[in-house]
Amino acid sequence: MEKIINTLQRSLPKWWQTIKISWSNYTAYRLNFFLQIIGPALVFFFVKYNLWTSVYNGDPELVIKGYNLDQMITYHIWSMVVGLLAQGMSALNLAEDIRMGRISSYLIYPMNFWEYHTAGFIAFETLQTFISILTIIVISLFGLLPGLTLSALFYGFTYCIYVSLFWFVLQYLTGIIGFWLEETWILRVILSILTAFLSGAIIPLELYPEWLVNLLNYTPFPYLTYYPIKIFMGEIGFFTKGYMILGFWMVVLLIVNKIIWKKGIRMYTAAGM
Amino acid sequence: MTMIKTRGLTKNFLSYKKSPGFMGSIKALYKRDYITKTAVNSFDLEIQKGEIVGLLGPNGAGKTTLMKMLTGIIVPSSGEILVAGSVPADRNKEFRKRIALVMGQKSQLWWDIPAMDSFLLLQKFYEVSDSDFKERIEEMSTLLDVKDLLHVHVRKLSLGERMKMELMASLLHNPEVIFLDEPTIGLDLVAQENIRYFIKEFHRKNNTTIILTSHYMADVHALCKRLVLILQGKKGFDGPIEEFEQILGREKSVSFSFSETIEDHTHFFENWSPEWNQSFTKVDLRLPQEDLRDIGKTVLEKFPVIEFNTEKMPIERVMKTLMEKPELALGENH
Repeated sequence: MEKIINTLQRSLPKWWQTIKISWSNYTAYRLNFFLQIIGPALVFFFVKYNLWTSVYNGDPELVIKGYNLDQMITYHIWSMVVGLLAQGMSALNLAEDIRMGRISSYLIYPMNFWEYHTAGFIAFETLQTFISILTIIVISLFGLLPGLTLSALFYGFTYCIYVSLFWFVLQYLTGIIGFWLEETWILRVILSILTAFLSGAIIPLELYPEWLVNLLNYTPFPYLTYYPIKIFMGEIGFFTKGYMILGFWMVVLLIVNKIIWKKGIRMYTAAGM
Repeated sequence: MTMIKTRGLTKNFLSYKKSPGFMGSIKALYKRDYITKTAVNSFDLEIQKGEIVGLLGPNGAGKTTLMKMLTGIIVPSSGEILVAGSVPADRNKEFRKRIALVMGQKSQLWWDIPAMDSFLLLQKFYEVSDSDFKERIEEMSTLLDVKDLLHVHVRKLSLGERMKMELMASLLHNPEVIFLDEPTIGLDLVAQENIRYFIKEFHRKNNTTIILTSHYMADVHALCKRLVLILQGKKGFDGPIEEFEQILGREKSVSFSFSETIEDHTHFFENWSPEWNQSFTKVDLRLPQEDLRDIGKTVLEKFPVIEFNTEKMPIERVMKTLMEKPELALGENH
């Protein structure tokens, strides 16, 4: 016990300082940061808003698979918030570090590569949480989020932060594949398009064939966007199943990451980039 | 006390030949002809605490590979290394706290934030106490004359200023062994001199062990008492700098300039491999050390000498010759 406290006492300042420096790094170009985070989310939302308004043809009575137009719009507002909160891009730097050969520095510093980047992720996630809260406040002021409860917000935020951890572990994997591939951004693009479709970020899963939804329920995808939206909409409370299934996938990914890192770093240090 | 010790240290790189073009890339996917390249070949080295050793060698001779093995970035193919009592490739955190690596060609500082922010982060990484941190920053920034630049974004610094910051960043934790890989590359003469002076002062105060590579012989000349030459992965020389200067013989290079063309330029000078300029007003001679005084005197008396000087840095000439003819250092049977 004493040993654990001792280790914590020694490593907490390192983590805290890394988080602070990541904040400065992320906000070094404020406008850039803002555009990078908010821009795509807003554009994406605007496209979906227009798409669904024309699908419903402006008819407030029409109900598609249990959604009327207002509910569909609410669904997509939450989809945007979940995207901000749970699916950040903090792993971008990580792939860049590998590609540019900056990894040597981390082999010399008494702070490991994963420690540094996990601290960076924590920094990023706190910024995202802040931005998400602002977004929710602004949208609520327009009266677009009726029936919002504090408990739904609480369950939603805690679950989304859990999802973001899973997302980080997954992005970490695409980053360290950089040991083999020169450019890994294409992997991340494929992954995010796939996720957008399979997680319900573009179309609610109710609109998919039942067999596909049943299958998807075993994968991590619906737990990334569809279910968190349902939590924010107050249809689910504490989401035990989601925590369990994502937890399982997270353990799998962590093991894969560990193996990939070990092989990658051996190759790296053997070639000496 | 021995700080660095290697025995039979060897590093082989495995690479494969790729035929040019797209078809070559396709072919490389299923059939590869591997070639082994030995970058460092059974290298023995022993360095005592407090020594400054210059590691010399042409590009691609294995200097950087050697440095990377000594710092634990890459794992040797065979042989033993012990640095500050640890095996570098184990990369335990205690070992990492006792060494520093400065690479002139690669920035370790964070680009978008002021150097001071990077220093604060490194302070936490290396668990340097606040009082030590303040004292060292004050001392180093004064010595390097960069006090006003600590809060400027690194990307806005000039190359020389940035290099000074890199040095500070690497030395904040007061390492026992410092590896300097071309710390003055691309810098102007004044900045080079500043950095040399700084390294010298740092060494004088802390009795740090320093391994330095550089292509500027002035660095080596100013800092190192001992030189290790690496040629084609092998050790070509290991000893005091004065001995290195004499690898090619105990002759001195002397040049004389004259106020007028020397008509009788063959006869008097021919014994000392003279090299004349086109107008025969300047000559470089190679004189046996013991006759330097007599011959010099005669030339001064007999000819209208307006200027004469002896070579400032013989190691530069030695290096050049050895790069052209490595067999002079490695032996004929190589």
